[in-house]
Amino acid sequence: MPSDAVQTRTAPGTPDTLPFWGRMTRWSPYRAVVNVIYGSPRRQFLILAIFPVLWVLTQHLGPMVQMLRVSLTSAYPVAPDTETYLTLEHYIKFFGDSIFWQPFFRTLAFAFVFTFCTLVLTYPVAYFLARHVSRKNQMLMLLLLLIPFWVGEIVRTYAIMILLGNTGALNLVLKTLGLIDRPIPFMYTSFSMGVGIVYLTALYMLLPLYSALEKLPTSYNEAAADLGAGPWTRFRRITLPLTLEGIGSGCTLVFLISTGFYATPILLGGPSTTVFAQTIAGFFHTAGDQWPTGAAFASIMFAAALLLTVLFQRIIKAMRKGDTK
Amino acid sequence: MTRGSRIFMSCIYWAFVLYVFVPLALMILMGFKDSKFIGFPIRSWTLDWYTGVFDDGAVVSAFGYSIAIAVLSTLVSILVGTWIAVLLEGRKFVGRPVVFGLAVMPALVPGIISAIAFRIYARGLGIEPGMGAIVWAHAVHNVPFVVLVVMARLSTLPKSQLEAARDLGADPMVVFLRITLPYLVPAILGASIFCLLLSFDDFVRSFFLGGYEPTLPVLIFAKLRSGMSPEINAIATVALIVTAAIGIWAERFTRRMNKDSKP
Repeated sequence: MPSDAVQTRTAPGTPDTLPFWGRMTRWSPYRAVVNVIYGSPRRQFLILAIFPVLWVLTQHLGPMVQMLRVSLTSAYPVAPDTETYLTLEHYIKFFGDSIFWQPFFRTLAFAFVFTFCTLVLTYPVAYFLARHVSRKNQMLMLLLLLIPFWVGEIVRTYAIMILLGNTGALNLVLKTLGLIDRPIPFMYTSFSMGVGIVYLTALYMLLPLYSALEKLPTSYNEAAADLGAGPWTRFRRITLPLTLEGIGSGCTLVFLISTGFYATPILLGGPSTTVFAQTIAGFFHTAGDQWPTGAAFASIMFAAALLLTVLFQRIIKAMRKGDTK
Repeated sequence: MTRGSRIFMSCIYWAFVLYVFVPLALMILMGFKDSKFIGFPIRSWTLDWYTGVFDDGAVVSAFGYSIAIAVLSTLVSILVGTWIAVLLEGRKFVGRPVVFGLAVMPALVPGIISAIAFRIYARGLGIEPGMGAIVWAHAVHNVPFVVLVVMARLSTLPKSQLEAARDLGADPMVVFLRITLPYLVPAILGASIFCLLLSFDDFVRSFFLGGYEPTLPVLIFAKLRSGMSPEINAIATVALIVTAAIGIWAERFTRRMNKDSKP
């Protein structure tokens, strides 16, 4: 939108014959408002900017800052007639007990493994869609994959429970094929949790990979083939390096999302797969005096996730630079 | 590319389609089982679980509650997100990268952390857990998607249309209302549907910010914790049909709008 000052030209014609917009622009309260808003480019910008800036500061940044603040106070919510002080004790608590830091590292390890599985699983699918399917069918076939992803987290987690249960479909199939005598206990293990989380996050990997692969001109591969490169060399030297950016953004998204799951690990995981989200949530189910500890743990997790994401982006960037040399 | 590898690749695609659809299909199927016990094989069939969904007062009210929250939070997200997008697109000012970064941040914060942060913040503001708190949390969480979609659309608006309107004597307000805003309508509608679905499907924020009344995902979760039953399959299937239908309709609708408004 152009930001120059108001034009003073008035619409032609008499007021009675003017259409709605013409009459409106002649209406004096409207003119007054327009003159106030668009009086000068500076004022126009201020009026446009003040609400969004306030919103992102108070609503987007505010909760995170408040969480950090609470994590550093001795008690929250503050009981009447008590003094609170700044403290790091809630952070120290984290390192003191293995029931706290074990789930933390387990969550990060799971997130790594699940992200990698999602990448390996969806890359061929994205590749096939982008390179081997005609334009018209591409959108249809992509849309087909999108439909299940409009269904919510809980419903899809439940669907996985039915698939993997002791009397579930997978065990039935294996039994009918005569591969097993008694059902394999898939449920409540890191395997069932992995299947569930990959199922929930696959789309966030598929879309960035697809758009990266779709942008890649086929002529590069053809040129490489003409120069004698085999399929594997072409993939390793051309396709993979040139889609690193898509891989980077897909992995970042999936990693961040899979560290944040709460319901899925509860429903699909067991006692040996407790994730940090459950540890954090535990502090908010009981009485309010545990909130600062929960806030501290959530802050630790957020910092760790951010740090790893930034690190990962750096590595991807370095790899891309190394390839263009 | 040889014929063999093409067939191999297409097998991978269809295997993935199966992976994505089979669990949901099995879940729908299980809702027809004439037994309280979840598991295969299914020997006799019934429609009772599905008809039971509409008789269960708790389920019906959770449905309405979820839809009300989705609609209200979407209205807020659309207003705020469009405003932020109009500010950010094609404008250079000090601190723009910071505002942009903050604007998209809620979408990148892992679910549990954002739920906890909202819970603490709501407490600090004196907002009681319940509908207001959920609407607010969903609205904030969904703003980034609106910002990104509307900014993408705004960047394709032909400047010549704005100039033509100015030349014909429209003041900036009229230009915005009659050129920019109508141009944004497909993006705004698309983003609205996306927000509606995100809010309707959300569990973690609704769970931590909710009061005694559960949203549909929270209700299904609570029922699941006390054991699996075909009743849950029927409820989940109804939720699935609603979301998938809205999603498919929105996809077609936005595609047609985009096609029509291409210059």
